[in-house]
Amino acid sequence: MINTRKKQQEFFELSKIRRRFVLLILLSLFFALFSRAIYVQGIKKDFYQKEAKDRSDRTIKLHAYRGKIIDRNNNVFAVSTPIEEITVNPSILVITAKQKNKLAGLLSLSRGELERRLQKKKEFVYLNRQLSPKKAAQVMALNIPGISSKKKYKRFYPAKEISAHLVGFTGIDGDGLEGIEYFSNKLLAGEPGKTRILKDISGRIVDKIQDVKIPRDGQDIQLSIDKRLQYTAYRALEKAVEKHAAISGSAILLDAKSGEILAMTNYPSYNPNTKLKSKDFLRNRVITDIFEPGSTIKPISVSAALESKSIMPHSIIDTTARYYKVGRHIVRDTHDHGKISVAEVIQKSSNIGAIIIGDKVESKYLWNTLNNFGLGKKTKVSFPGEVTGTLKHYKNWRKTDHESATFGYGMSTTLIQLAHSYTVFANEGKIKKVSLLKTEGPSIGRRVISIKTSNQMLKMLESVVKDGTAEHARVNGYRVAGKTGTSKKLGPDGKYEDTYIGSFVGIAPVSMPKFVIAVMIDAPSEGSYYGGNVAGPVFSTLMAEALKIYSIPQDGFLEIDKQKRETKPDSII
Amino acid sequence: MRLNLTLYIILIFFAMATVNSEHQYRNNFSQLDVEKKTMLELKDEKTKLEVEESDKSGNQRIQTIALEKLKMYTPNKKEIKVIR
Repeated sequence: MINTRKKQQEFFELSKIRRRFVLLILLSLFFALFSRAIYVQGIKKDFYQKEAKDRSDRTIKLHAYRGKIIDRNNNVFAVSTPIEEITVNPSILVITAKQKNKLAGLLSLSRGELERRLQKKKEFVYLNRQLSPKKAAQVMALNIPGISSKKKYKRFYPAKEISAHLVGFTGIDGDGLEGIEYFSNKLLAGEPGKTRILKDISGRIVDKIQDVKIPRDGQDIQLSIDKRLQYTAYRALEKAVEKHAAISGSAILLDAKSGEILAMTNYPSYNPNTKLKSKDFLRNRVITDIFEPGSTIKPISVSAALESKSIMPHSIIDTTARYYKVGRHIVRDTHDHGKISVAEVIQKSSNIGAIIIGDKVESKYLWNTLNNFGLGKKTKVSFPGEVTGTLKHYKNWRKTDHESATFGYGMSTTLIQLAHSYTVFANEGKIKKVSLLKTEGPSIGRRVISIKTSNQMLKMLESVVKDGTAEHARVNGYRVAGKTGTSKKLGPDGKYEDTYIGSFVGIAPVSMPKFVIAVMIDAPSEGSYYGGNVAGPVFSTLMAEALKIYSIPQDGFLEIDKQKRETKPDSII
Repeated sequence: MRLNLTLYIILIFFAMATVNSEHQYRNNFSQLDVEKKTMLELKDEKTKLEVEESDKSGNQRIQTIALEKLKMYTPNKKEIKVIR
């Protein structure tokens, strides 16, 4: 009995030790867990929160590439190139004086300007928004805490001033501000996307959680422009404007069969790659500026007379009157041409002859013809800022308006409208729709005058270049047709000034018309101001180049021993 | 008991397979992201080359080389021979 009790006591004593031992272990484990909880949630709280944030999902913006603008032969006119945006967080910036010197040099900032930016009490300051990737890498190699770099894209225009008016430019945020960049901004820009991703601690994207918005890259735009002809047109204009000390010059070259614009340029121009752009020369004056076309309209009014059978090509017009009174204005010819044929009225550019012929046509018929040639309405070319020009409705015409219209006064046109109207003579009486975008093959035209009248007019226009007022517009080896125009400029007070606009519109080769070119020189002040003399050489240079580049067979005689002849002046009021 | 053990082993096996496949997926996705970045870099490189090509084939440059380096000029009247 005693023995049994002793055994029980020993058992309980042993058990008590075990229980305490187990309890101690459990308490130790609980303490360890509790300590770990305090460590994780208290002491290392910031570290773990940062780790969690790094691993958590985030929404990132996906870049959409802006489309390129290219010419008809895939030459680049506008393209987005990578640049780096350098920013600083001055609140965490740690920088030495030596680093400041290096940084200022790389960022092209003065030391004072850099200091001013670094001392701003903000968390985000731009240091340079358009730094080359090479220089940005050098900046980042300085390892300055607080300075960061972000990849962006900047528009670059390799053709510089040659295509500036056409292509336009974008602002610092990448949106188009002028030209095609502005007109087709939505198409070019595309749409940036968004996606939710999961990153690991080393910054690698390990999973895509959801596509919030799929990015859509911008589309490339292929223009109808031929860069080679654009260059030739610009250089020829530059030469003419400088030679005659003119305010500006504009030129447009159309493919007569398709209506495509192969060149459209203005001088002076600007470099779209630089920040400073003169506001005076931002407009594409071929499309936005209007002027009184003058004698270049005569072939259209004569077409109306021929088409209505009011006259015949061999009809004789008596222009012996030294002047003709149109309203308050006296209209003269430069010479007394006497009795001349209709063809000679065009060839000699007789204002009196044009008025006499125009008087034989009803106002409604004349207005309809002018309107059908595209005057007084937009060409609807894909370009911003196109103006309509003015062509008063025939119901509101007085006799003066009717007579003025026959020789291109009392109305206004743009250069593109003028070139557009001459596609009628180049297409046997059909007008073609103009296009700034590349098209395939010839386009369907709308008949304006009969084939017979159109051919008669083309012949008359050829005589202008052959024996008339446009000798300087000749192209060696080719038959050329065209018409000069010299009109007085209207001043701000509505009165005519002693400054002129010299213009020329022409077609070549006459046997199978391929190109139509219109050239306008604004206010030539040195040498001649006649359209044939100032705009004719630009036409000749550009047409010769176009015919050569497109391998158009010659249809005329080579004038190897061409003698310098005096150009006959065009008629002006 | 034996069935439970078998099911337990199968469960462990599929759990490991799931973890492995998730790991593989993340590795592949990360690789895809790297390749996408490479594609964008190549696209930028292509743009740079296009600009360079445009610069090299510029009319102004060609004209300067033709006139100054190659001494090219427009033939005068005496140098033109007409073949009939």
